[in-house]
Amino acid sequence: MMRRALVTALTMLGLGCIALLALLSVARRWPWPAVVPVGLQVRQWREVLDPASGVGGAALRSSIMAVTVAALATLGGFVTSRGVARHPQRHRLLMMLNLPFAVSPVVLGVSLSYFFLRFDLAGHAAGVVIAQFIVAYAYAVILLSGFWNPEVAALIELAVTFGADRVQVWRRVLLPLARPLLVLCLLQTFLISWFDYALTLVVGAGRVSTLTTALYQYFGSGDLRLAATCALLLLAPPLAAIALHQRLASAAVAAQWEA
Amino acid sequence: MSSTAEHRASDRWAVLAVGLVAAPLAAGLVFMVLYSLGVVGMLADGFTLLHWARVLGDARTWITLGFSVWVGAASMAASLGLALALHAAFGAGARERESESVGLWYAPLAVPPLVAALFSVTVLGSAGLLSRLAHAFGWIASPREFPSPVYSRSGAGIVITHVALVTPFLVLLFERLARNERLACLAETARTLGATAAQTWMRVRLPVLMRAATPALCVYFLALTGALEVPLLVGAQYPPMISVAIERRFSQFDISTRPEAYALATLYAVLSAAVLLSVFSVRRKRERRERGA
Repeated sequence: MMRRALVTALTMLGLGCIALLALLSVARRWPWPAVVPVGLQVRQWREVLDPASGVGGAALRSSIMAVTVAALATLGGFVTSRGVARHPQRHRLLMMLNLPFAVSPVVLGVSLSYFFLRFDLAGHAAGVVIAQFIVAYAYAVILLSGFWNPEVAALIELAVTFGADRVQVWRRVLLPLARPLLVLCLLQTFLISWFDYALTLVVGAGRVSTLTTALYQYFGSGDLRLAATCALLLLAPPLAAIALHQRLASAAVAAQWEA
Repeated sequence: MSSTAEHRASDRWAVLAVGLVAAPLAAGLVFMVLYSLGVVGMLADGFTLLHWARVLGDARTWITLGFSVWVGAASMAASLGLALALHAAFGAGARERESESVGLWYAPLAVPPLVAALFSVTVLGSAGLLSRLAHAFGWIASPREFPSPVYSRSGAGIVITHVALVTPFLVLLFERLARNERLACLAETARTLGATAAQTWMRVRLPVLMRAATPALCVYFLALTGALEVPLLVGAQYPPMISVAIERRFSQFDISTRPEAYALATLYAVLSAAVLLSVFSVRRKRERRERGA
């Protein structure tokens, strides 16, 4: 009974937050102490979706960057995580892979800024993608190294015993087995890039516009209604993806810490 | 493929994996040290300890570091307490099956820190929703009378926002760890042996969960201490958190503060790496000792 009440309360709280943002995004005026907006309008949405605002371009850039980072990190992470999982110094290697999360993303961006400048990557989306890749790839290896357990090793051995070659082992055994974890990894690494603001700010040097930088600019200019509109655009893809993969994700969250 | 060749290939992949992450970090650290010592960079005038002396001798450096650790620790402690309470309420009864309430915790994972900070401002700000409701109930007459935690020098707004962001992650982590460690069976055994509900929690559930979660909690603590977005939007101008202080010094128009930004960044990188390495090493040693025993 209490558990159900708590679930209902938390669900209402979550929906309330989304509703508040939605209301703010269509508010004409919302002066203090009004509890609800004074009039509604779609001007904020028109302004944000207007090509002149640059938000559409920023959203497209964010999407391309996040998809690129997720694909590269998951692919690279899957191939190399096996080596990490089977290494005698596995714990030490995993500890080192946690370093990008321990040092702040700002420190990471600042420390790499010279190299990005030297290779003409500072202020370019490619530079931001490379910086985000370092973090996303580390996450992918940590997450996927949990996949290479003794059961998987036994299955590989069994497949080889039955005459499977290396390609067949990957195609027929490993990929189908790892699919749920790979999808989760794609989603999580996508979110690492999609949510990123610090690396985009430091490595992008204010010249790479993404949805997060657009939201910060609206917030900084003091227009919370436009910031809320932008925030809804930022929330939509991950909410949709998480709703789709909720069940899948539940089987693997924290798998990285088992390692 | 022979076993030796397979191991060699495996080693190569492991080296590549760590190299892709550790090499840029190491190169960046070396560069920051050299820049802050005046050896490289646009402002290089030969070896000097001046920038380090300025950073280490400035009381604001230690206030910033102390404030960041306080915010990180307070956020972590509050999130941990709340997550354990929610785990007790939702997940502790679940055995090997998936708890039906787990799905609830995934939705907040879709909220980026910037959006969470925006929520905080619109709800907890002095002109936010709670302030308006307080006025509607007749408790306050103007926004200034509302005790808003946003932009407060205590960092309360940052802590509240961090707690809202991190708690769902921790609930999911505990849910998973409880299943992996077969916590329900352990608790049932303890109860069968005569332990009370409180003893089962304090002597079985809590130690097992905390022990399994220590590395993750350490990483979360460091991530919160070095957070940028929430302090930038919800924090007071002074004291800044460490990432905000580094970013401000780094992106100033006057580039003369850049060596100090690198010194501060180096100091924080070394400290946070040392904390991480210590926690992982202690855990590893304890595991080895227990295996030996």
